[in-house]
Amino acid sequence: MILLTKRVEFCAAHRYVNPRWTAEENQRVFGKCGNEHGHNYLLEVTVQGEPSPDTGMVMDLKALKDLIAEAVVDRFDHKHLNRDVPYFKEKVPTPENLAVVIWELLEPRLEHCRLHRVRLYEDGSFFVDYYGQRASQD
Amino acid sequence: MASAPPRTRELEGDGRGSGVPVVEVTRTYQFSAAHRLHNPRFSPDENARLYGRCNNPSGHGHTYRLEVTIRGPVSPDTGRVEDAQHLDVLVHDRIVTRFDRASLDDLIAPTDGPTSTTEVVAGLVWRLLDGAMPAGRLHRLRLEETPNNFFELERDSVGR
Repeated sequence: MILLTKRVEFCAAHRYVNPRWTAEENQRVFGKCGNEHGHNYLLEVTVQGEPSPDTGMVMDLKALKDLIAEAVVDRFDHKHLNRDVPYFKEKVPTPENLAVVIWELLEPRLEHCRLHRVRLYEDGSFFVDYYGQRASQD
Repeated sequence: MASAPPRTRELEGDGRGSGVPVVEVTRTYQFSAAHRLHNPRFSPDENARLYGRCNNPSGHGHTYRLEVTIRGPVSPDTGRVEDAQHLDVLVHDRIVTRFDRASLDDLIAPTDGPTSTTEVVAGLVWRLLDGAMPAGRLHRLRLEETPNNFFELERDSVGR
């Protein structure tokens, strides 16, 4: 089993707001993250598989790059996540939720290998990892 | 319900399965500290042979870089595993304020290990943070002594 990682960047604006809360509650919980701001996100997509006996590749890196561009980067790059991405009308555009939606966008599009991990850096000192795991809510 | 998919499939499925996503969140800190590798149970010659330059009687120091990873469900209200500021305050209180501009040799207890190797210091950091968090929340630590030398502890893989 080999893990293969492709790294890409995108830049986007956002603000943290829960539309079900009052302005005061949002301010208390999110503070200055409730103001409009932006990040240079660094995304690492890791897939797992066996190298093909014919090509020696788990997945063609160019194909993975194109897939990430079409499914993720074109949607988010130089966008306002709250305004331009329907998913974030209801959900707060945190790195956690962004990693989950990136997983949901990529996972069904992969054909010959499995998505292993989505790692998203908001900056050099803060990142999240999502492995597609869910827990029951109770 | 005989046709219900097995639970593992549900958990690993297409990401839209039931339940809330479980995400790992990593934040990075640093502290500058002095230390000297020296085990008093060994002779001076043995210490010099074992630890080499790190046994310099005057000591030396590093700018340590610490990655703290917590793991948990994403809150549907906040979109976060935990308030980042809360984690920062905890790590600053428990680790950075104690370890920064300090001598690590003064901080380790005999039960932590024989001397202030970064393995031993990482174990101490784990003990201090794990005891201050909800059970199972702390998932991984990475302590970089220099960008070329680093040490990682992960829950389960180290029997913690």
